[in-house]
Amino acid sequence: MTSRFNRRTLIKGAAISLGLVGLPSVGLSQAKPNIVIVGGGFGGASAARLLRQLMPSASITLVEENAKYTACPFSNLVIGLGRPLDAQAFSYTGLESSGITLAYDRALDVDVTNKTVSLASGVTLPFDRLILSPGVDMRWGAIEGYSQDAAELLPHAWKAGPQTRLLREQLQAMPDGDTVIMTVPPAPYRCPPGPYERASMIAHYLKTQKPNSKLIVLDAKDSFSKMTLFQEAWAEHYPDHLEWRGAIDDGRVSRVDAATNTVSTDFETLQATVINVIPPQKTGEIADRAGVSDATGWCPIDPISFESRLQSDIHVIGDATIAAPMPKSAFSANLQAKVCAVAVARLLSDLPPQPTVLANTCYSYTTPDEAISIAGVYTNEGSSLSSIAGAGGVSPLGADKSIRAAEAAQAVHWFETITSEAFG
Amino acid sequence: MPDRNLQILMGALSVISLAACGSASDRDTQQPAFSLSDATDSGAQLALACSGCHSAASGAIVSLNGYTREALETRLLQYKSEADGTTVMHRLARGYSDDDIAEVSAALAPLGSAP
Ligand SMILES: Cc1cc2nc3c(=O)[nH]c(=O)nc-3n(C[C@H](O)[C@H](O)[C@H](O)COP(=O)(O)OP(=O)(O)OC[C@H]3O[C@@H](n4cnc5c(N)ncnc54)[C@H](O)[C@@H]3O)c2cc1C
Repeated sequence: MTSRFNRRTLIKGAAISLGLVGLPSVGLSQAKPNIVIVGGGFGGASAARLLRQLMPSASITLVEENAKYTACPFSNLVIGLGRPLDAQAFSYTGLESSGITLAYDRALDVDVTNKTVSLASGVTLPFDRLILSPGVDMRWGAIEGYSQDAAELLPHAWKAGPQTRLLREQLQAMPDGDTVIMTVPPAPYRCPPGPYERASMIAHYLKTQKPNSKLIVLDAKDSFSKMTLFQEAWAEHYPDHLEWRGAIDDGRVSRVDAATNTVSTDFETLQATVINVIPPQKTGEIADRAGVSDATGWCPIDPISFESRLQSDIHVIGDATIAAPMPKSAFSANLQAKVCAVAVARLLSDLPPQPTVLANTCYSYTTPDEAISIAGVYTNEGSSLSSIAGAGGVSPLGADKSIRAAEAAQAVHWFETITSEAFG
Repeated sequence: MPDRNLQILMGALSVISLAACGSASDRDTQQPAFSLSDATDSGAQLALACSGCHSAASGAIVSLNGYTREALETRLLQYKSEADGTTVMHRLARGYSDDDIAEVSAALAPLGSAP
């Protein structure tokens, strides 16, 4: 295999033109490969869009059970600041008009021998290459008492949509002076800094709307993403409205009771009016059905092609993968999708996938107009993704408000960019 | 056939990833001759990361539209070398070799800038 480091490229900013003036109507080759993608989130939709461009003659089918996608990034602002939930919704009409076939259906199973995906409607889709981007499922029961039914009373709001609205409405309905509890799982889970952004947004809501109320965060960990930055913001803005307890302070929740609105740690049972349970997670179920998840509940992948380590011709991207140190983020899912799309196009054209450098940037709000960020740079040379030493890191501590405001504005721009990358 | 594959691959990458690079009408369709091995070891794959944040519209995050290869390379090397820089771009640039930066700058720059 050729190393990416031993040769300068010939592309010279070039070839750009071809794409921008519209792709030729003729395809890659005589063959018309079938590519099936399951999951129309940040991973699956981005993969479909780039593959459509890379392989004009391929048949590309995106299987997605919802007619509209509701994005998680910025959904903490729905909960805490009343951002409209509509601002989170994206349709697939852009993908459809570019010639991607949308199957609004649930993928039930994958036949790895015959290379087909079966859908709830009874349709069977054959594939040459299958890309799975199913996101996460909750591990119901991992916290005793936390089931799908319990989530209707104690929302997780870790998949955006009705759950997001429910948590917002519960906060609004809560009398001033009552307590809110949030529980945070051990890693890995979707969006490592997400719970702490949410805690900030809820604390802001309480401070401004329910000043006698308080949020208690019960965490299964003792440290977390952007921890010192969040704690700096919390000390400044929410000293009376947010209390965080790590594992060492009995923060690990083992049981919840939706009937009594209580949460139990090793030593204590706490009662609250609103309880947001962010439960432990695993890959979306279809990955289990396809046999691409392992005992960890996540999917091991080749870091260059994102092809499953367990089944050939099936690729997995996004939250479902074991891609650490790359976090489970929308940014990662989008970039993994694009890297995977190039690999799939090359493989279907009898070209070997080749290594590259990947990156991630995630912004988190601490107040309505201040945000902090984390960035990382990763190589996929070797047997797994690894961080490039000396790169990445978080926003500076003790920074001027203008720096926080600039990152908040960047976050807004990022959301617009990433959603148009995925949904057109 | 392989050359054609590659042209399509590289051209298409630009649609999504390099959407910041200007309007279609500015471009001509002349393709350089590619060799197979240059496909993904090029800056175009590196540039896939840029389009996660940079769009065609400038705002809080600048559009990369219209910068020459030299301008991009100079700026990225600056980000990489400014030891006390703390912006997202400083933190990211430190992860790329000087060759990576040259390649990604070439991939992002419009046609016609000096090679
Ligand atoms: C509160 C919160 C805040 C976040 N903030 C950020 C942020 O600021 N920045 C950031 O980068 N990331 C953020 N994230 C993380 C981001 O949302 C995820 O990492 C991202 O959505 C992962 O993309 P994905 O494609 O892997 O999965 P998803 O986006 O979840 O997409 C999976 C899709 O697959 C569909 N699906 C699943 N199984 C099937 C099936 N069997 N058949 C048919 N369809 C199926 C689902 O309906 C869904 O549409 C946040 C997450 C949360 C919860």
